[in-house]
Amino acid sequence: MKPALFDFAVAQSLTDAQSALRGEQNKLVSGNQSLGPMLNLRLTRPAGLIDVSLLPELRVVEEHEDNIRFGAAITHAEVEDGAVPDPTGHWMRDAAANIAYRAVRNRGTIGGSLAHADPAADWVIVMTGLCATALVRGAETNAPLRTIPMEEFITGPYSTALGPEDILTAVEVPKPGVGARWAYWKYTRQVGEFAKASAAILVDPSKSRTRIAIGALGRQPALLLNPDAVLDGTQSPIEALSEAIPDQPATALHLHAVALTRAIEQIKVAKEFSA
Amino acid sequence: MTDTTVDLVVNGTPVSETAEPRTHLADFLREDLLLTGTHLGCEQGVCGACTVFVDGRPTRSCITLAAACKGAEVRSVEGFDDDPLMLALRDAFKRHHGLQCGYCTPGMLVTGYDIVRRLPNADADRIRKELSGNLCRCTGYAGIVAAIVDVLENNPPAAKIQPQTRALQNSGTSAVEPIEAISQTTSSVAAKTSGATSIPTKQSLAAAPTLSRTLAFEASTSEIWDIISDPEKIASCIPGARIDNITDDNLLQGQCAIAMGPIKAAFTGTAKMDLNEAEKSGHVIGRGKDGLSRSQLDGMLDFRVTGLPEGGTELALEMIYKLTGPLSQFSRPTLVAEIADRILGQVAASIEALAKGQEPDQTTQTNINGLSLLSAALWGWIKRALRF
Repeated sequence: MKPALFDFAVAQSLTDAQSALRGEQNKLVSGNQSLGPMLNLRLTRPAGLIDVSLLPELRVVEEHEDNIRFGAAITHAEVEDGAVPDPTGHWMRDAAANIAYRAVRNRGTIGGSLAHADPAADWVIVMTGLCATALVRGAETNAPLRTIPMEEFITGPYSTALGPEDILTAVEVPKPGVGARWAYWKYTRQVGEFAKASAAILVDPSKSRTRIAIGALGRQPALLLNPDAVLDGTQSPIEALSEAIPDQPATALHLHAVALTRAIEQIKVAKEFSA
Repeated sequence: MTDTTVDLVVNGTPVSETAEPRTHLADFLREDLLLTGTHLGCEQGVCGACTVFVDGRPTRSCITLAAACKGAEVRSVEGFDDDPLMLALRDAFKRHHGLQCGYCTPGMLVTGYDIVRRLPNADADRIRKELSGNLCRCTGYAGIVAAIVDVLENNPPAAKIQPQTRALQNSGTSAVEPIEAISQTTSSVAAKTSGATSIPTKQSLAAAPTLSRTLAFEASTSEIWDIISDPEKIASCIPGARIDNITDDNLLQGQCAIAMGPIKAAFTGTAKMDLNEAEKSGHVIGRGKDGLSRSQLDGMLDFRVTGLPEGGTELALEMIYKLTGPLSQFSRPTLVAEIADRILGQVAASIEALAKGQEPDQTTQTNINGLSLLSAALWGWIKRALRF
């Protein structure tokens, strides 16, 4: 199918993009790799699209002492290829390399994926697992960027903490401490498909961060309350999941338990991070 | 909606055409430039038939807007005549039976070119993984993989096409102006669509997915029954729903609009509600159509109101739904359940409010997070949502 009618403009600056959001008729677009299919199927019918994919402000990558800040319009392929630095060694690169297909990764962007907030998207769970932070520019001029932890940024299926005139400008990924380990496992029936279940584990003793995120739930990722108990074996994956996501049907629970079990196996043999 | 000028370079030749902003690159190549070598399969970014090079990178031309390619360098299957690497690939595809009907071939060649150039050490397994975004229904892939292996192993010619970076083109105008004009166009198109006038049969829903939910209320059984047995009242509790008409033979006609993230659908349709006053139960069956996406939702709902021993009321719901058309292609059961629960949460709050003599909470209603519909009647069919 073809999209319904819409208007289109290339934003010349962030301010420009932001003023186009007033009235809530228009929508920002970067790679169009998730929105595009919805447009073609006429599931979404914005009055206008504002292209921000080439905005210099969204293409910046800044390295700080504790983190790297990725502009929202950095593509998956740029992360995959190492064209931008990876604060985690290669964890982000590995995740990026398995998003959809290369042709999609060439245009799809980190910020677009997070703002779209498909519950099964890779960055949604990976950024939650890595304790990343969303940087949001609000409508008020000169106000500082809002920083929102990823677990609060994604609020539901296709839903985020972004207000109608907010723009997700960047995502900040903390550098792990020496000795940190990471695992990410997703279940897909074929390469490149959206996951049906996924789990990400971060164990970072020197930064006191231990996190287990469960993804592809149809909503935002769930963080297990007591990840240490699952990692040291005092609580089984299925017990932990029955507690964390009790509303899921038994089959889904089982699938997520498998994802979590595989991620636990992975993290046992994962190489330790060294800066 | 104003047409936009698309300036880009296609197969080495500068091109400047006006096009509707909604024109995707594949249609632009095929319809405006008559370069029909680029094929459209799924038009949702899955099959890979439309893959072309944009700025030297393989790109889905069906989900890339032509207007977003201003200043880009596009290379389609017609543009490789003097490219030695593409000649080697074509030759290998021919020798290894890498094509039969040829529909996927333009996309396969572009992806194959990218594999050879980007992954010089790829083995057959890696090639298969990289080809996962290009579907072929004839060859079983074996010939395609063999052809790419062959090229890789036999000293492939250097790739003439290389990735390049494109900078923002200064248009001199702000993005804001052209956009606000069109919102009416879009909504008037939506308003013209007609809804479903028939209702489904029980049999047609026999194999459809079901969803069971229970809602608890503080209000008494009779208060809840008064609301849910009254089409107008219950519709006022469902976010985005309204009853337009109740026909002489007691069919309910109406609409339910749902928005979730970028997705918006407005299902217009007809439903029939049968009530059993004595048992405080009811049965609703209905059908709604979303005109623009041409999706149809058939749904059936059984509900029963019972008093709880500790006071208050329980409303048990059994929903059966069947979605067809483009929306169903996005359907993932976990999403449907999640959206149903979000809508039901709001419906329950509104029923409780109404039972207490308050207005259903309008703020909640405008903020709904659910995609789905339900046509004239009540409750729930929930719809589904999307996937990709």
